[in-house]
Formats: sequence, structure tokens, C-alpha cells
Amino acid sequence: MPFTATPIVGGDAFDQACRIGQEADRQLALIDDFAGQLACLRRHWDSLAGLGWLAVAVPEEAGGAGGTLSDLAALAGGAGRGGLPLPIASACGVIPHLLADQPELLPGLAEGQHRIAFVPAEAAVDEATDVPRLALDGSLTGAVVGIETPPDPTHLLLVLDGAEPVLLLLPASARGIAARHYLRIDGRLAADWRFTGVAVEPCWILGRGEVVTRRAAEAREIGALLTCVEAVSAAGALLEQTIDYLLNRVQFGVPLASHQALRHRVAEMYVEYENLRGLILQALRAAGAGDGLSWRDIAFAKLRLGEAGRFIAQSAIQCHGGIGMTEALPAIRLARRIMMAEFEFGDRTFHAQRLLNAGRGAA
Amino acid sequence: MAAAIDYEAFRAEVRAFAETRCPPEIRAVVATYRKLSRKVWYPWQRILFEHGWGAPGWPKQYGGTGWDLKQRHIFDEVMAECDCPPQYHHGLRHIGPVILEYGSEEQKQRFLPGILSGEDWWCQGYSEPGAGSDLASLRTMARREGDEYVVEGQKTWTSHAHESDWMYTLVRTSKEAKKQQGISLLLIPLNSPGISIRPIRTIDGWHHVNEVFLDNVRVPVANRVGEEGGGWTYGKFLLERERLGGANVAPALRNLERTRELLARELGGERHELKRAMLEERLLLAEAELRGAQALGQEAIAAVMEGRPLGLLPSVLKLGTSVTFQHVAEVALDAVGERLAPRFRPTDAAGPNADAPGIEWVQNYMYSRVRTIYGGSSEVQKNVIAKQLFGS
Repeated sequence: MPFTATPIVGGDAFDQACRIGQEADRQLALIDDFAGQLACLRRHWDSLAGLGWLAVAVPEEAGGAGGTLSDLAALAGGAGRGGLPLPIASACGVIPHLLADQPELLPGLAEGQHRIAFVPAEAAVDEATDVPRLALDGSLTGAVVGIETPPDPTHLLLVLDGAEPVLLLLPASARGIAARHYLRIDGRLAADWRFTGVAVEPCWILGRGEVVTRRAAEAREIGALLTCVEAVSAAGALLEQTIDYLLNRVQFGVPLASHQALRHRVAEMYVEYENLRGLILQALRAAGAGDGLSWRDIAFAKLRLGEAGRFIAQSAIQCHGGIGMTEALPAIRLARRIMMAEFEFGDRTFHAQRLLNAGRGAA
Repeated sequence: MAAAIDYEAFRAEVRAFAETRCPPEIRAVVATYRKLSRKVWYPWQRILFEHGWGAPGWPKQYGGTGWDLKQRHIFDEVMAECDCPPQYHHGLRHIGPVILEYGSEEQKQRFLPGILSGEDWWCQGYSEPGAGSDLASLRTMARREGDEYVVEGQKTWTSHAHESDWMYTLVRTSKEAKKQQGISLLLIPLNSPGISIRPIRTIDGWHHVNEVFLDNVRVPVANRVGEEGGGWTYGKFLLERERLGGANVAPALRNLERTRELLARELGGERHELKRAMLEERLLLAEAELRGAQALGQEAIAAVMEGRPLGLLPSVLKLGTSVTFQHVAEVALDAVGERLAPRFRPTDAAGPNADAPGIEWVQNYMYSRVRTIYGGSSEVQKNVIAKQLFGS
């Protein structure tokens, strides 16, 4: 029996997420126009909201399911395996954590009424002067690019750095906000936003100061960890599909799987995959041990995701040959997803830098 | 039911023991990568033996500790963290367990005590010039003459033969059957007439391995373990027991820590700014891989303790960790290479630079190359993994 990947956290939620993911990926691949793609993603977003995914991490007293990180990992893992092109880490983990102190917003979040795009303080900008800032008169100016969004976002949740960090929830329709929406190479929605003197109403400011910094840092760890779970799960599926392709593709009268060069490349992919899986398991275990998230374990996992994930994705493309350069196969869509995961919640140098800083501090 | 084991208390107990009872001069040998010879190993084994910890993996009845797998793993980890030598393995971990499983009662009484106390030193006579990865092709013949075998042939890569008393040896006792079936396991005293040992010079400049020539060596039939023709099974049993070897990542992590200290020491100042940053990053990547392997090692131990199959974990650990160890050794070489590589001795003959401070990092690098060759080469491991992944 050829290889079958073991889920990091299995169960019904994992299976459900995987099924929805496969369906969404399959449908999306057949649509060419942006309006159609958006409608497809919106349909799947609504169905997973209806299934209660957005409520998993919301406390019970706020109308949620009061789930744990492990419950989120089941969803993220299933979504990763199925290739679901929706922002699961952000919508199910990061945003509920950032809004944990906002009892009046949580029920709407859990029910799926709010579709929120998260703009972290370290969001990418084209020009350094674009970094969003609140002026003294309370207006917001700046621009961010490549922000992953849910379909038809109703709100933007921004963390603004500065003398006093601010957590800001903007209605997407507020005057002075211009958006460009598009689809990324992994089939996910993203937007570039420009804020031109947006008059921020006091009730949009959800928090200020140290608590915002702390929550934002924790949220980033959650996002990074769930992204790792999602990506390693995608890598497991990608390995299966690459093996399947090599077993069935015949050239020179023999299956490609009979060639040692390709067999060894797949063995190397597997070793990278298992090693990454080990690190992610460790980070999840540490988080489950009750001492909160272990930033160090997460940083190592995300660092390895950059290395191992890219190796696996590139190897899969190489093993597929010419067809690996097309969008025709789910395997290649998974490969692109894994490559994109590197840039979410801190790329490999971001995590390497903080590990090095901590090491030098200790020395 | 036995009371639950407090593993953290156990870890603390082992650490206290290692820190107070392992002599500083022995720990210094490990910490500075000097050669572990019988002279260094023996006193440490003696200390462990007298404390009742001589054979962590053996049953209590034969002088073992009765520890479970997790305790043994903790013991190995703490030993590495404290720079204590890993226990000499040929007796305790290789032939000892085979004698325990397949040896006669007489053989157990005769051989186990010397292994446990460290009085007897063993080496492994497996590989031959024509039988490396393909061990079953071995050709050293043992011909039966009354109560004796007469052994004729050659072994190679025999680690520690030059300081051993005994060699557990795979020999061919029949050419009739399939090549795996005509093999027997003999315990041969190395002072037997007809044995000669020649050192092999390896690229790291140390004398670890030897050629062992057997010229009509007479070995009593009583020195055969188990059945005639059963040697392959016993050899495989040994390898099975060693499959978890890769689960102990602690020595590699300790090596990484020492290398990190080396970078801080060696690469101060502006001149080395880029080099230091690049090497630190490479170390960090290696550390990430080792931590991943460490987590997989824990998973492997849990699997064995719960009776679940290990699957490909041993091969994954061996393949991955051996390469990462080499990466770390390369980082150290790159840190000192300009200064020390030119002075590295070509052989272990004492040259003018034999004791140059830091020369061990160059030696360590050269030695590290063997890690992807021995114990099932990387290529063999990849074949094993691919066979399983592809289903054939």
C-alpha cells in the first residue's frame, strides 16, 4: 500500500474540512473570471460559517464553542489537506483571539455576520511612508498590500504600531478607504488597501497600549502555528499525490516510480515532511501543556516550514515534469499553497531573526 | 500494577549522578572531542557498574536496571547533556542482548558479567572486503572439525579490534543454502592463534578501525551462539534493537551548543561579521532539524512503549540526523578552517600540529563524513523509505 499521511489532529472536523476544501479547490479551478471565483469562495465561506467553524475559538459564554487550539488544528489540517483556499488560520484563530476582549463583537463573529480582514502591524507596504498611521486629529492614512481577506470583507482589523499601539476595527465601507481585490496564486483572496484621511470614530478603537501588543503577538503565534499545521497537512497530501503520479505515469515503457533518482527524491521529501511534522507536533504539545504558546517552538516550526515546505513543493513540481508547470493538477495547487504559507505570519528570516536575538540576549 | 514512574525525578537523579560521579577528566575528553579509548571508557563503566547502572537495557536478573524504554532514553540524553561518554556499545548493546536472547545459560554466566563490569571488551566482526552494505555476501568460512570450528577469512572496518578481547563474528558455515541461511555467529577470543590485526588509516587521522585476518583460527563449538545457520537471524535481532539509536538527538544538540560557543569565541569583531551571521543561521537551521528529530524520537519511543509499529521512523531519524550532524560539523570547520585546516594531520602519527588547540574541529568534520555511510548508508535508507512509500 502506498503512503497515506497521518493527520496532526484527526477526527470529524478534519474530515469535514478536507471534504469542503477539495470541493472548493475543484470548483475554483474551473472558473476563470474574478466575479465567479469570488462567488464560489463566498459560497464556501458561508457554508463553513454555517457549520460553526468561526465559532470554534469563541468562548461559550459569547455564543461560541469554546474550543481549544487542538480543535483549530483539526480544521486547519483538514483545510490544508483539501486545499481549501480560505483564510482559516486568520478567521478561526487569529481574529477571535484579537477580539477576545470584545464581548459585544464575539456573537456576530461566531455567527459569521462579520467577515474581517486582519492587517497586522508588520503588514507589507510598497513604500515605507505608506505604513498606516493615526494622525492627531484621529484620521487614518497609509496603504498596505497583499492582505489576505475573507470574501466580501465587512471589516478590517488593524494593529497600528506607534508610541501607543492601537487595535482598530474599520468598517470596510468607511469613507476614505480604497481597495483592490484579487486572487493570489494559491487561489486565496487578497486586497491592497489605501487609507486616505479616514475619519476614525472613537468606537472603532478597540484597545490601546500594552494589551494590544501582547494580544497581537499571541495572535501571530496562533496564526503561525495554524499555518504550519495547514501547510504540513498539505505537504502530506502532496506527497501522496506525487507518489500516485509517479506510480501511474509511464515513460520509456516503465512507470516513473521505477527510477531510483525519483524514488530517492521522494524519500528526501518524506524525511523533510516528517521532520517538519515532528516540530509542529512539538509546538502543539507545548501549547497544550498549559504554559501558553511556546514562541520558540513555533519559531522553529515556521523556520523549518520555509525550508522543508519549499523543498517539498519544488520537488513535487520537478517530479511531475511538464505538467508540474501547469495549474491542471490539485497536487500543484497544493505546492503553490505551501510556498505561499511561508510568507504568512512571519517568513523564515523573521523567525530566524527572533531566535538569533534571543540567543544573543542569553549569551 | 506498578506505581507510575516519575520521569522528571528520574531525570534529576541521573543528572545529579552524572554531575557528581563522572570524573572531570573523562568529561573533558568528551567535551573536547578527544578519542574515547578503552582507557577512558573502562573507569566510567566501572563507576556505573558499581552504582548498579552498568547495563540500563538488560533485565534485572542479569545485572540490568529494569528501566523502561523512556527511562533508558532519559539516561542516554542526560549522559550526553553532561558530556559523559556514551556507554561502550559492543558488549552492552550489541552482543549482550543477543546472548541474553539466544545464548545458552552457560554462555550467559560466562560472558555477561565481564561485559557488565567492563572487564571484557568486545568488537564486531561483520563487514568484509566483499560484504559491506550487502552483509549477507560474507565469505569468511568456518569448517567444523570435531568440537571446533576452523575459521578462515578476513573482516574489515572492525572498530576497536586493537583494544578488544573478543570479537562476535558472523561466519559462513554452509554454502549450500540461500546466502542468508548458511551464516553462524561465533564468539572468538582475539588472542587466538591465527588472528592478526592491522590498523586502517581513516581520513580523520584516528585509529578506530582495523582489518582482522583469521588464518585457521580454532574456535570451540561451545562459542557458537544459538543454532548453526541461525546467525543472520541473531544479527538482525541486534539491528532491530538498535533501530531506536537515532532517537537520541541529545549528543547532536550538545555538539551544536559547543559549535555555537565556538562561533562566539572564534568570530568576534568586524572582520568576521558576515561569516558569523551566515554560520549562525546555518546552525539555527540545523537546530530546527534536530528539534524536529527530537520530537520524532519521542514519538518513536512512545510507539514502542505502546506496542505500535515504528514504521519508517528509524530510517527517517537515521537519514535526517546523520546529515544534520554533518552540517553542524561543517559550520565548525568553516569557523576555524582558514586557521586550522592547513595544519590538520594526515595520520594519527604525532606530527608538529597533533595538539594544535582547536584541531579537533577539523578532525571532527572529517570523522563526521562516516555518519551517512555506516549503520545503513543514506542511499540504503532512501531505498528502504521509497520501497515503503511506493508500496514496492
